[in-house]
Amino acid sequence: MILELEGLAAGYGAKTVISDLSFAVAEGEILALLGHNGAGKTTTLKTAMGLIAPRAGLVRFAGVPLARVPVAERVARGLRLLPEGRGIFPDLTVAENIDVVAARLAAGGAMFTPEALYRLLPVLAERRTTRAGSMSGGQQQMLAFALAILGTPRCLLLDEPSIGLAPNLVERLFAQVRDVCRAHGVAVVLVEQNVAAALALADRVAIMNSGKLVFDGTPEAARASNLWEHF
Amino acid sequence: MLALQLLVNGIVTGSALGVVAVSFALIYATTRVFHVAHAGVYTLGGYLAWSLMRHGVPAIAALLVAMAGCVVLGSLIQILLYARLERRGAAQLVVLIASLGALAVIQNLIAAIYSPDILNFSAAWAGQVVALPGGLRLTGAQIATVVLDFAAFGATLVFAHRTLLGKRIRAVASNPFLAEITRLEPRRVHVYVMAIASALVCLPGVLGPLDYGLQPYGGVTPLLTATIAMIAGGIGSLAGAFGLAVAIVVLQNLALLVMPGEWSIGVTFAIFVVFMLFRPRGLFAGK
Ligand SMILES: Nc1ncnc2c1ncn2[C@@H]1O[C@H](COP(=O)(O)OP(=O)(O)OP(=O)(O)O)[C@@H](O)[C@H]1O
Ligand SMILES: [Mg+2]
Repeated sequence: MILELEGLAAGYGAKTVISDLSFAVAEGEILALLGHNGAGKTTTLKTAMGLIAPRAGLVRFAGVPLARVPVAERVARGLRLLPEGRGIFPDLTVAENIDVVAARLAAGGAMFTPEALYRLLPVLAERRTTRAGSMSGGQQQMLAFALAILGTPRCLLLDEPSIGLAPNLVERLFAQVRDVCRAHGVAVVLVEQNVAAALALADRVAIMNSGKLVFDGTPEAARASNLWEHF
Repeated sequence: MLALQLLVNGIVTGSALGVVAVSFALIYATTRVFHVAHAGVYTLGGYLAWSLMRHGVPAIAALLVAMAGCVVLGSLIQILLYARLERRGAAQLVVLIASLGALAVIQNLIAAIYSPDILNFSAAWAGQVVALPGGLRLTGAQIATVVLDFAAFGATLVFAHRTLLGKRIRAVASNPFLAEITRLEPRRVHVYVMAIASALVCLPGVLGPLDYGLQPYGGVTPLLTATIAMIAGGIGSLAGAFGLAVAIVVLQNLALLVMPGEWSIGVTFAIFVVFMLFRPRGLFAGK
């Protein structure tokens, strides 16, 4: 297991948003993390990243507890987050976006170098000198995905990567996610509103309701169960 | 030609305020701190250079040492004050008040160590008047001001757009949250930005007083003009901040043709009000 959450609790101020949350992902596995609006999915990913301090429980990465490991060090070890909303630097050009992140995360012998990304996502190569914030939503999301995998990711936390994308783009993006995961053994935690697309892609499904895990199983079992009851 | 002389004087002083504005804008865009104490860093630069030059240190060396002093002061303010407040989740207003406090401390220390009165530089070259074609007359200090400040502005633009650190700083300004999770280490970048901006502001901090003399509280008016230039130029646009600073000071100078000098602050505020009414996001606002 590359990423393990054990009895995790977290929240904001006086409010506890997630509690007693446990799940794990293995190398090369895609876990869809689903749940209604406000279920605590984003909070879960942020807590795993170290952006929110857990109130109970622990996060383990490649077997090592992360309690005292700062965000920058988690990122360096390969735990990567594609954030909800804008995962790009809008005021920089596409090439500048990639260069600044590559300088910090892909120096020497990386799984995904800038060249590899331009080959993987040719749309970015065409847009190198374009201001990132002026691109279409789909192109911005491709860039966000590129920034999330640049370097040597070992576990990707993708927070609603398909938001605002046309259906054919969602298909393209998810195909890329699958390739990255299968070919390089990268684990993926995929938070999605697009339940059908997520179930089609995932190896395993976890469903949250009001901060608690209510289902953990295969996509088939999820479909067979009364899926919508959980939302 | 009075009007031409006033125009050129405006460009000279404007370039100095332009560098103040660019350095302030760099800090504000990246750290979101309204760094009022920047006026204190500006003032310290002038006094350090004055002390050194009085003991016979050549102007260039004095400027460089003064810059180093400003870098230390700016970085310490970031590390000991702003970064600590940020870690405690302080509101922007609290940080602003802390900055005002730091400014008061710097000003009062300078007044206590030196003197609350105006101190003048005694560099002969600075006061020497050079006659230029068209009947223009510029002092050595003015020529140094316009040349070095324009060069500093150009260098800042090149730095921001062509170097890796410059791009990293712009990335932190553009999306701090993403910067955190892509290991750009925004808190470290904030210290770099304060160091760079403090070195920058030292340049006008030394060159301006060569002409007008030093005062412990002399940094406040330049900072006010610089702030207005930054807002009117569009927050985040370094060229906007510089251009507006030059434009404001040129207008202040040309206004001397029709109204007394005490009104120049009034002109600055009039420009500010016009912008807030008709272009509240500034001339070159990015988003
Ligand atoms: N910064 C915050 N401060 C206070 N409460 C917050 C904050 N962020 C989220 N919350 C609250 O925590 C709960 C869980 O939010 P979270 O964003 O984790 O849900 P989510 O499952 O990602 O929802 P969505 O599908 O809308 O993205 C919500 O009730 C939300 O209002
Ligand atoms: Mg969310």
